[in-house]
Amino acid sequence: MLSSVAALEHAAAVAWAAIGERLEGEARGYARTIEARERRHAERISALIRELGGEPPEGRPPEEYASQFPLMRDEEEALRFAADLEEHLVRAHLDALQTLPEEEQRRAVAEIAAEEAEDLAVVHAVSGEPVAEFPFVTGTQ
Amino acid sequence: MSRQAAPAEAGLGPGRAAPAEAALGTRRQALAAAALAAGAALPLARPAAAAAQTSDVDHLERLLALEQRLQSLYEAALQRDAIEPGLGETLLEHESEHVRGLEMALRARGRRSPRATVPPPQVGTAFAGRPAFARFAADAETEAVRSYEEVLPILRSTRLLLPLGSIMASGAQHVVALRQEAGEDLLAPG
Repeated sequence: MLSSVAALEHAAAVAWAAIGERLEGEARGYARTIEARERRHAERISALIRELGGEPPEGRPPEEYASQFPLMRDEEEALRFAADLEEHLVRAHLDALQTLPEEEQRRAVAEIAAEEAEDLAVVHAVSGEPVAEFPFVTGTQ
Repeated sequence: MSRQAAPAEAGLGPGRAAPAEAALGTRRQALAAAALAAGAALPLARPAAAAAQTSDVDHLERLLALEQRLQSLYEAALQRDAIEPGLGETLLEHESEHVRGLEMALRARGRRSPRATVPPPQVGTAFAGRPAFARFAADAETEAVRSYEEVLPILRSTRLLLPLGSIMASGAQHVVALRQEAGEDLLAPG
């Protein structure tokens, strides 16, 4: 489970770099900040995997991820992808939370889940949508 | 009054025909609320786990007190025009849903929910204006999110993890909404 989350975070960092290319001004600044966050998340999850004696997945070259991203011809399409991505990340971490037995593992994943929910709210904000629409934020699979 | 369904009946009430996006939100609420109820009901089916559940009850009571404090804050802010009404109503509705969900979980464990009776500190300055209140409320929401981050790793009932995690995620989004209201950077440096 942690390996798949780490792999997802590697992909998310590359995705946010691509999303940022389609954004301007303040929105681009947020994209850069979130990209850096995703890289920290990948490193944190990878460290947990190493502590458990495992070998975390390495990030792949950006061009390998790019073919899996949806077409982003403008800001609207980029933000739509960003929202889908963050919904998926929220759900992945909440799902992981339920499978992890150790306190430290759960703490790391819970803290990252909260940051992903923040990032999703930022996407809503720069899209001009309600920032906090639902009382229970579960993300989507 | 509330645009959101109660935890016990989310998505089940009559006449809830809604656009696709609203329906999706209702389904999400229903799933999270149902999970909270399921997690809450489990201890009754397993009385042998009573000792372990005592710890979870303590955590739930702590979280409930924080949610009740936030609920009181938004009620007062709306009365004093210290928050944009649309945002204030939304956040108040969310807090009411969180409170109801946590109360359900506690009732299922045979506990009456405690009521928050002590007003939060610095309330006077907090209501001085909309930006000031937004900053105050963002700090209170951040404190609540941190509390969920502390509780989630040590909960005994794994069935509570998803619904409580979904409340934590909602709180994290409240922080962003309040930073926007205060005219601040949406993401804290870190």
